[in-house]
Amino acid sequence: MIEVRNLTVKYDGHVALENLTFSLEHPSFLVILGPNGAGKTTLLKTFLGLIPYEGEIRIFGKEPREVRNLLGYMPQRDRINRSVPLRVKDVVMMPLLVTIGLKKEVVKRAREALRGVGMEKYWNADFRSLSGGQQQRVFLARTLARNPKAILLDEPFSATDVATKMAVIKILHRLKRERTIILVTHDVNPLVECTDKVLLLNRKMIGFGRLIDVITEENMERLYGTRVPIIRRENVCYTVGGDIHVRP
Amino acid sequence: MFALSIWVLRGIIAVILISLVASTAGTFTVFKGATFFVSGIAHAVLAGAAFGIFITLYFFPFPEFLMTIFFAIFFALAIGYATHRSENVDVSVGIMFAFSMSLAVLFLAMIKEYASVAWGLIIGDLLLLSQEDVLWMSIAVLLILLLFLIFRRKMLFSIFDPEGAEAMGVNPYLYETLLYLLVGIGVVVIMKGVGAILVYALLIIPAAAGKRLSKGVLATGLFALLFSLLSGFGGIALSVLSGITPSALAGLIATFIYFLSYLKRGTVKVP
Ligand SMILES: Nc1ncnc2c1ncn2[C@@H]1O[C@H](COP(=O)(O)OP(=O)(O)OP(=O)(O)O)[C@@H](O)[C@H]1O
Ligand SMILES: [Mg+2]
Repeated sequence: MIEVRNLTVKYDGHVALENLTFSLEHPSFLVILGPNGAGKTTLLKTFLGLIPYEGEIRIFGKEPREVRNLLGYMPQRDRINRSVPLRVKDVVMMPLLVTIGLKKEVVKRAREALRGVGMEKYWNADFRSLSGGQQQRVFLARTLARNPKAILLDEPFSATDVATKMAVIKILHRLKRERTIILVTHDVNPLVECTDKVLLLNRKMIGFGRLIDVITEENMERLYGTRVPIIRRENVCYTVGGDIHVRP
Repeated sequence: MFALSIWVLRGIIAVILISLVASTAGTFTVFKGATFFVSGIAHAVLAGAAFGIFITLYFFPFPEFLMTIFFAIFFALAIGYATHRSENVDVSVGIMFAFSMSLAVLFLAMIKEYASVAWGLIIGDLLLLSQEDVLWMSIAVLLILLLFLIFRRKMLFSIFDPEGAEAMGVNPYLYETLLYLLVGIGVVVIMKGVGAILVYALLIIPAAAGKRLSKGVLATGLFALLFSLLSGFGGIALSVLSGITPSALAGLIATFIYFLSYLKRGTVKVP
């Protein structure tokens, strides 16, 4: 369970997040939407205890720094140095090796995690030679191998094709039964079935709640600063704006 | 004929020590893409040597070796810090490069006739190492290997995925700076043997070639070790036969191996 009260984050006086208040049950699936520079990555990093903040954050009843080992984090893809010659198994085991060391159990957990994302046969493969989508799945396995109670994913679908996106979503859908998932994306469309809550973020909180309540024409305009038309048909509605297609 | 001269023996020991650094800290520097750093430190070492001589001439005796270590450590920390702030290794190394080169030229001008001692560091000679040089080299390399073995996983994590590392409580800047420190100290001791320009050839090129040929970290390190030993021993052997300075020959062999690595089919394309 995550509780956020009057959360403000500043970088050298510049306000990146302003007065956020919301709470999330465990387990549940939260999608964070917002334009570039909205503070989405900042919010995830604050949850991980990497950034000082004002206000209150309680994750499973504790402060962010105290629950680091309960959280799994999948960074934005472009932050990774993909020229390092690593085998897939090395990538998956890396966090476990740092915390636990090389033990039988670590290898076993890494294998299981890779199997979970359907990448088991790539155990010995060169990570650099995988496609972008396959690399994303390996990263997901790496995150899961630590068996975290909550998983934070920063734009996991950037540079992935539809098939990979769907494969990853299927995995997440299965995981959400026992884990809390917080996912930053620019496109909520393919996540409609698994999303419990949506957070609209643009420095301030524009909206928080169930998809169908939060994704409104008014909110989308406040979020992106431009009119985003929404098409409603029966109990489903689509918003179409630039590259954003939202189907709540 | 079979009695190896003590100078050749020391040269051989030096090559082994250099190869150990190349296969560990050198390989990680290539992964980090901070190879320019090696040249930057080499110039800081030159400035350090000139400054050490300057102090000895005009003030009090100060071992120039110690001064080069100080300079290397200072520049490694400065580059680590600047990288942390500006997030670009190339730019921070470039600035430090210019700074240390200016200092070097300044001190060299002030020590006039003794400048040749500092310039000796530019060329270096594997076959002119003293007993003391080899002793210092061994101590420094042992220290580098020890720290590398202890912290290798955290350093690798920090190089590969700094944000992921940070999220796990591994401070990437700390471990990057540690790598710079290890390489910096390595450069100081290696330079005595191979000089400022070729320290790059023996520290970086074997790892770069190894990276082209292997799929994993360990394999890259082993290739780097092999290539570095081949270049160093080859350099010494050819030097004994021809009388040409071994570091130049070692550098030529290293670059030759690198170009050969292109011949292997199906090498991994590196972005
Ligand atoms: N380390 C930092 N120091 C200073 N300012 C920062 C830092 N990191 C982010 N910012 C600023 O904070 C704001 C929010 O950045 P953040 O990376 O959280 O946005 P984001 O929503 O993740 O954007 P994107 O969609 O581009 O990933 C931006 O204005 C950014 O410039
Ligand atoms: Mg971001």
